Amino acid sequence: MSLWFALSPLLILSAGGLLLMLADAFSEKHTDLALGAFMTFASAGIFAVALWIMGGVPAEVAKLVAPWIVLDKFTLFFMATLCLGGALSSLLAGGYLPEHGLDRGEFYALMILSAIGGVLLVAAGDFLALFIGLETMSIGVYAMTSFRRTNPRSAEGGMKYYLLGSFAAAIMLYGFALMYGATGTTALAGIRDALASGSFGYARDPSRLTTVIIAMAMILVGLAFKISAVPFHMWTPDAYQGAPTPATAFMSVVVKAAAVATAMRVLLVAFGDKFSSSWGAGWPPVVAGLAVATMVVANLIAIRQENVKRMLAYSSIAHAGYLLIGLVAAWGHGDPSASRNGKAAILFYLLQYTVTQAGAFGALILCGSKGKEAVSYEDLAGLGRRNPAVALPFTLFLLSLAGIPPMSGFFGKLFIFQSAIEGGFTWLAVIGLLNSVLAAFYYLRVLVFLYMKEPQPGAVEAVPMKSGYVTAAMVLASALVLYFGLMPGRSLDMAISAAQSLM
Amino acid sequence: MIPIPAFLVVAGILFGIGAIGFLVRRNVIVALMSIELMLNAVNLTFVAFNRVHAEAHTGQVFAFFNIAVAAAEAAVGLAIVLSFFRLRRTVRSDAGDLLKN
Repeated sequence: MSLWFALSPLLILSAGGLLLMLADAFSEKHTDLALGAFMTFASAGIFAVALWIMGGVPAEVAKLVAPWIVLDKFTLFFMATLCLGGALSSLLAGGYLPEHGLDRGEFYALMILSAIGGVLLVAAGDFLALFIGLETMSIGVYAMTSFRRTNPRSAEGGMKYYLLGSFAAAIMLYGFALMYGATGTTALAGIRDALASGSFGYARDPSRLTTVIIAMAMILVGLAFKISAVPFHMWTPDAYQGAPTPATAFMSVVVKAAAVATAMRVLLVAFGDKFSSSWGAGWPPVVAGLAVATMVVANLIAIRQENVKRMLAYSSIAHAGYLLIGLVAAWGHGDPSASRNGKAAILFYLLQYTVTQAGAFGALILCGSKGKEAVSYEDLAGLGRRNPAVALPFTLFLLSLAGIPPMSGFFGKLFIFQSAIEGGFTWLAVIGLLNSVLAAFYYLRVLVFLYMKEPQPGAVEAVPMKSGYVTAAMVLASALVLYFGLMPGRSLDMAISAAQSLM
Repeated sequence: MIPIPAFLVVAGILFGIGAIGFLVRRNVIVALMSIELMLNAVNLTFVAFNRVHAEAHTGQVFAFFNIAVAAAEAAVGLAIVLSFFRLRRTVRSDAGDLLKN
């Protein structure tokens, strides 16, 4: 296998992004670019799956780009997941942007270039590659967030996201610098070896231990910010609400999946030595605390929202909390079986979350049209009777987000909680379970408005839009939600085999 | 020769000034400058540590990449601040109060 083939998903995305920028200059109507973006994502995803089917990238090929880029099955799994999220988001953009008078072609190029950053981020085996991937992804998303140039909310959301995002990146970068100073390397595997061996750190020189702990804390802050864990979540609702909805969908699936993947790599690989990952002195109790805070705070605030898009933003923060439970379980006191199941549970959760969350935002897009965008619960009142074809997919995705069988979200949560119990964190699983009951309240509230309420007399009714692109995304996402929900076995097997390759 | 800890202390102070400036000042342009200050402190730290780990150029290379990425980030950031200014006629961050519940 040549290196070109091994890197094909990244190369296809790069070529596709550049070609779309070129095509943008010559095209009159930009809707076709959405199809181009979809094809780019789809072919990159298909190449990632093809590499997987051929048994992954052989070690002697992967060695050529190591340690900067790690081409294991874990990377391939996330490449396919990110491409799936990107493909759905670009379809949504193809319907949303022309409808709302935002038909400018650079959106698709930004989306693809940002996804390249995401793919690089999940593949990064070195702080340098990690940082470049993170910034490539973030800069594209900042621009996408403030894409509605005439809308003050979009500019405000973009500005808040940008300021807090670069602040967090600077803190994380200082952590990288200190870690480099303490260990002498920036490769994740090298850092693990350095921390594990006595020659560098703990045993000989206590002054280095302080540096290592400060660096770890700073890197953890940066990661928690990107995952949008409480108390580093402040930007999330504002950026999600201000951004054009396809950009919101992209942020909540692609950016989140990439951030969780890199958190897994950094915490489980670089800080996977016995000392950094001990319950007494390492990161696991911190992550467990973050998980509890994230779930509880996000769910309590989400209940009080009147804006559905903002509610979905808080719900996406809450889902980050469930993923952090998985991260604690993936450490699992160092027990290999519990650890493998925890990692696999996160991977499966992210895969099904990608289609569910992108679908939910897509359904929200479908509910409104130009000047009559559906934002509040009231806007959705009675849509179930007037437009069952719009309300049905929305119902499907909300039930999946709430974790009700037979939707995919049920198995996502089940595997996370199961792995937490197996890893000895029954209390975390119980808190997670109580939280998902709490969360069901505000998901079902949307359904109540959709099916059981009628609009207030005289209120502006949201008129559903018509778009082949969004409809296609709905069909694709609904089919996948049902597939992951009814037949989770195959994808779970893939997740397990990807989890085993993470080392 | 200036000892290496001196560089690290200066970098730490610079980083602190940047972080405090970011948190305290309400002017977005000043916040951007504070972030640049923090990134420069990081670069200084990397280069200083490279003298400790002189067997490879990792730290210096990292600093180069930081400079390039910081430039790209600042370009996008200024564009966003500009579009905010066009709509609101101010660059004070407390003017961003439309998004809340």
